[in-house]
Amino acid sequence: MIRGTVVGQVWATRKARGLDGQTLLLVAACDAEGRATGRLVVASDTLDARAGEDVTVAFGSGARNVLRPGPENRDVLCDAAIAAIVEGAG
Amino acid sequence: MFLGRVAGTVWSTVKWPQAQGLKLLLVRPYRLGDLPPGAAPVAGGTASEPTDDLVVCADTLDAGPGDDVIVAFGHAARVALSETLPPGSKPMVPIDAAVVGVVDRVEIPR
Repeated sequence: MIRGTVVGQVWATRKARGLDGQTLLLVAACDAEGRATGRLVVASDTLDARAGEDVTVAFGSGARNVLRPGPENRDVLCDAAIAAIVEGAG
Repeated sequence: MFLGRVAGTVWSTVKWPQAQGLKLLLVRPYRLGDLPPGAAPVAGGTASEPTDDLVVCADTLDAGPGDDVIVAFGHAARVALSETLPPGSKPMVPIDAAVVGVVDRVEIPR
C-alpha cells in the first residue's frame, strides 16, 4: 500500500465495462515525511474521500478486496483502491 | 492505475502467439507537477506534457496519440482484455498493462 493525498478526480465515458460505476480519484503519493513524491495514482474510491484528504491506497488483490471482499472477485477490474482515510501518521 | 497521455504505437512481428492482434500503445504517465490546479488535461487542454518514463499498454478502446487515458496494471489489465473475448474465456496473454478508459475530464481543485 502507499500513503498519499487526494488531488482530484478523473472521468472517462469511453471505458472498459468493468470500470462502470467506479469513482476514480487522483492520488499523489507521499514519502515518509508526508511530502509528495510526484508519482500520481488513479485509485477507485468507495469511502467518499475528498480532495486534500490523506489516504492509503491498496494495490492488486488488496484493491479488489476493497471493492468486493471475498474469494470470488477475480473478475473485478481494479488494481488500486482507497483503503482508508488517514487521520494521523508519525 | 495511472493517468497518462498516449505518445505513440508499438508494432511487433515476432511475439507470443496469444498476443496476435493486440494493439500496443506507448503511454507517458503524468506526474504531479504536470497538472496545474484546476486544469483539465484532456487533449488540447492546458496541462503541460507528461514527463515520466513510457509504459507499453494493450489497447482495446481505440485510443490514439494525444489522447489522455487511464491504464490498469496486472490482473486488472487482463480483466479489461477479457471483456473483448467470448464469455468465460480467459486472456492467457503476456500483458500486464492495458488502457481501461479514455479520459474526458480531470478536475483538480485549487
